[in-house]
Amino acid sequence: MAGTIRAQYPPTIRPIRINCTGRVTPSLMIRAISKGADGIIIAG
Amino acid sequence: MLQAARTEGLNIYTYSELDSLKGFVGNFDAKIRRKARYVTKDCNGCGACEPVCPAISWNDFNEGLNPRSAIYTAFAQAVPSIAQIDMEKCIKCGLCQKACELNAIDFDQKDIIQNIRVGTIIVATGWDEYKPPIGYLGYNTYPNVITQMKLERILAPNGPTFGHIVRPSDGKRPKRILFIQCVGSRDLNKNTYCSSGVCCMISIKNTKLIKQHYPDSEITVAYVDIRAAGKDYEEYFTASRKEGIRYVRTNVSRIEENPENHNLIIKMQNTLRDSLGLQEKEFELIVLSCAMIPPIGIKKIQRLLKLETSRDGFFKEFHPRLNPIDTKIPGIILAGVSQSPKSIADSITSGRAAASSAARLMSKDKYRIALIRAKVNKDKCAKCGLCELNCPYNAINLLDDGADVNEILCRGCGTCLANCPSEAIILRYYKENQYEKQIDAILEKT
Repeated sequence: MAGTIRAQYPPTIRPIRINCTGRVTPSLMIRAISKGADGIIIAG
Repeated sequence: MLQAARTEGLNIYTYSELDSLKGFVGNFDAKIRRKARYVTKDCNGCGACEPVCPAISWNDFNEGLNPRSAIYTAFAQAVPSIAQIDMEKCIKCGLCQKACELNAIDFDQKDIIQNIRVGTIIVATGWDEYKPPIGYLGYNTYPNVITQMKLERILAPNGPTFGHIVRPSDGKRPKRILFIQCVGSRDLNKNTYCSSGVCCMISIKNTKLIKQHYPDSEITVAYVDIRAAGKDYEEYFTASRKEGIRYVRTNVSRIEENPENHNLIIKMQNTLRDSLGLQEKEFELIVLSCAMIPPIGIKKIQRLLKLETSRDGFFKEFHPRLNPIDTKIPGIILAGVSQSPKSIADSITSGRAAASSAARLMSKDKYRIALIRAKVNKDKCAKCGLCELNCPYNAINLLDDGADVNEILCRGCGTCLANCPSEAIILRYYKENQYEKQIDAILEKT
């Protein structure tokens, strides 16, 4: 959606393409947090 | 329909239902329940059985406006032209058996379950008319408040009144007629959607039709917005206004009946001309232009085909703008109002689009799939069945030696592996360690 409305988001947000929000496992989220990510948005 | 029935290689099963469906695109196994008509194929539709039948029911085809016998032909052009018995009403007197010269009546007939193998499925479940709750706008309380479909049957030349407009209370011709639009649609408490302007156009058509037959009719349409969006529709609407049909933008909230002559008294305010204030009007017939809603049987079809429905209750398409024809299951295609309310022209467009979508699949011997599919390591699988439960495409079956992925049904969403407690499932090209590497690379300290 951000792309279609030509919205810009800050460079501190880094997208990772997943096939489906159902694919996201807790271990992936915990890994991101433990490596220093401030937050995670799961959008689908 | 008659032409289709005569086409070779085209099998039509009327009065039949889908009982179960297995398989995937190219290899669907469908069980069809061909319901017992209690009349055999020998019937030639002569209709000799109908007048002798003493059991009476309402004629569904004419929206219950006239009675029919318990043995009946669905409607004049029904295919095949075979009578059927309504067993809920039949008293098994056997008079029809005596009347039938061809001995076509068989009270012991049973439903036939027919197995067929098909490659693709087109869902064309159609629609039902919204039935307002009893008492709402006088529906089912005052005899002269009817729905649009009843008016359609009254105006039809093959209908119960042979096309003469009469009102139900006394059978006289109504002169002052009111159409109320958006009954049960565009209403936050009922259905929030607009029935694609279909009810607007039917009302405009019927006002014109009545005006042509009886130029002295005084017809008012109480509307919220007239949605005449489509080729020549706006011109059609303008033409009906020129013919003297009054369009009043108003919200009718209350209808009362004059008990003496069954005329209906309503209070309405033209919201475009507030200076006129609340006006009281008397009408001889009120037609409720009701919303198009999903048919009752849609839930069963949804369960059997494992499809999803949208918030409005119609089947959910693959994508509302980019692919409104296919569904999430390859080989199952939507046509007409099964997807959303549509006019006849839009339904034809949608039906042909569905046919071409099916032809695209059927014309090839092979079906190409992307390789992004789930894969089960059966040594690790604990056979808990969580993946089978959570798979949105029903691609996983739990077998004796572990979960089994049908690679054609699987769309590679990965829900199964996120749910797998024993980490026995991987998604090709989207493996756990690939994601981990991406996360690590993004969060690397520079």
